[in-house]
Amino acid sequence: ENSPAPLPERAIYGFALFLGSWFGFMLYLIWAYVPETWLFSLGLTYWPQKYWAVALPAYLLVAIGIGYVLLFGINMMSTAPLNSPDTITDNYAKKQQQKKFQEEAIPALRDIPISEVNRMFFLPEK
Amino acid sequence: ERRYRSASGAPIALRRRQHSASCRELAVRCPRLQLRSLSAATSAAWLAAYGLFVLSENSMVLSAAIFIMLIGLIIYLHFVKIDQESLLIIGSLGIQMTSSYASGKESTTFIEMNQVKDVVINEAIHMQKVIYYLCILLQDPGDPQGVSEVVPLFQSSKPRLDCLIEVYKSCQEILEQRKTAPQSS
Repeated sequence: ENSPAPLPERAIYGFALFLGSWFGFMLYLIWAYVPETWLFSLGLTYWPQKYWAVALPAYLLVAIGIGYVLLFGINMMSTAPLNSPDTITDNYAKKQQQKKFQEEAIPALRDIPISEVNRMFFLPEK
Repeated sequence: ERRYRSASGAPIALRRRQHSASCRELAVRCPRLQLRSLSAATSAAWLAAYGLFVLSENSMVLSAAIFIMLIGLIIYLHFVKIDQESLLIIGSLGIQMTSSYASGKESTTFIEMNQVKDVVINEAIHMQKVIYYLCILLQDPGDPQGVSEVVPLFQSSKPRLDCLIEVYKSCQEILEQRKTAPQSS
């Protein structure tokens, strides 16, 4: 019931959004370029200051640029430091249950403790 | 003494000494402060200060630069530049870590054997790189299954994996004696 297939309702929503966005863009261009006196003579007096026609796109572009730097910084801050036990284990690994070993079956998936992994990698088996 | 490389490519040296059957000392020596890098940094800083003096006609800039260089060098040698990091494992007693700074200062940390769960090589993300580092896993004496704390070792010399494997094998030989030796309380 959640398929992405086209439906009549979705077509109508899409067309309404398309018309709405074109209308919004035309309104923005008219507000930014038409001189104030012409708009006043038509009787439309309650507009925001034209300063915002330039300020809002500038703010948006600077915010997008800062967003890249901010995301990079947030990633660096959430990396666990070298002395935190989060690099070794976490809550799911601590609470995992041991499944019984069955003959001839693939062993169940589990988080192997780091001491065991180290012994296997770095101590040569005689 | 064997030569290895650190994670950033600097040459380091590992020295292993066996004092007795259950006591080993492993020391990693970092390259000392080179005269050429010190001269380069000093010349750059004093040239910049002379440029500022020419621009501002204030002779305090020169004396301030000299003063800052001297104080900065002393602080760097005493608090930042580590010459040697060593690890002393005594099987029944504990593990002691010593860092010797370039000014001669030594800082030691001792962890007793009850608290040591294991010494492992872990890999983690550090400053846009993934590095291997040796660390001591500490356990709560009341909860022998959980890891209460992680103590990273050789933080400033950062040896690469080949050096770490040698240190790891030496440590594991001592730690294995804990299980076979009878418990004495």
